[in-house]
Amino acid sequence: MITDSAFYIAVGLVGLGTLTIRGSFVFLASKIHINRRSRMIFSFIPAAVLPALVTGMVYFHQGQVDWLAGKERMIVVTLAAVVSYYSKNMLVTILFGLTTLYCVTQFS
Amino acid sequence: MTPSPFLAGIRSMLPILTGVVPFGLVMGSVTASAGLQLHHSFFMNFLIFAGASQLATVDLLVKQSSLVVTVLTGWIINARMLLYSAAMSSFGKGKSLPMKALISYCITDQSYAVLMANKDRFESEQDQLKFYFGAALAMISGWQCSVAMGFAFGNVAPESWSLDFAVPLSFAALTIPALKSRPHIVVATLSSLAMILFSGLPYNLGLIVASLTGILAGAFLTKGQTE
Repeated sequence: MITDSAFYIAVGLVGLGTLTIRGSFVFLASKIHINRRSRMIFSFIPAAVLPALVTGMVYFHQGQVDWLAGKERMIVVTLAAVVSYYSKNMLVTILFGLTTLYCVTQFS
Repeated sequence: MTPSPFLAGIRSMLPILTGVVPFGLVMGSVTASAGLQLHHSFFMNFLIFAGASQLATVDLLVKQSSLVVTVLTGWIINARMLLYSAAMSSFGKGKSLPMKALISYCITDQSYAVLMANKDRFESEQDQLKFYFGAALAMISGWQCSVAMGFAFGNVAPESWSLDFAVPLSFAALTIPALKSRPHIVVATLSSLAMILFSGLPYNLGLIVASLTGILAGAFLTKGQTE
């Protein structure tokens, strides 16, 4: 159960911080210069955070398909990543993942 | 007749919304599943306006994670917007504070990508900015509507549909464009493995440690490189 105070404080801080991040260089405009090395390191941020989030959500999920050792979600999300790579479409990726998981859990 | 840059911006964003809408539906259904109300959802959409960090925020709040971890996670996920802000800094020159705030607020993965792909179509910076605001308006509208729809209809989805699984699927789909080179792929692999290793840390600190492990590995792998 999420309390109102926890929600508003967390969302408020994330929101204000995000606006500060978004506005950082737009507001400072001509005052600072970001070098290429920093840009390169920044580009690793989504590549590091998003897979860690996915792993945390999927790897530790206790599934129900015995012959896949309860790791059916890990397998399906890996296949969905391949589908996403080729389709470059989030809708296709989500539909593929949900349908595959449904088939695996219902018909195994 | 030359189309209005603003309308061209809206039109350019429409195909991209096919990927945003399912993500918004997931966001809405997750928000509802977490026991939050529609006004909470709109408040969060308005204030944060960044899907991945919104999902993470709700997820961490549900898990009763500490405030520090919840907020830091949201900031870390959105730290990539520093790059977008840097790339768009020229639009802020000579503008009023409210205009700078509006330009900043509208920065998203999608609006930034659409602007960068289309800015050469317009000669003046003013027209580029109009295009950007058109694209951003479509993005904001699509996001708010899809989250509201997800909130309303997500609850009625049967448990066997495993709609919660759409969250990691959405993140997985967002990860693919970030894997631009071999070092990026190594970073993603290492941060995933680090997440498994450090998941036992308290307050969900494992996510931050795993992310920092990946970023540091990327910095090490590309030591001395600037491209």
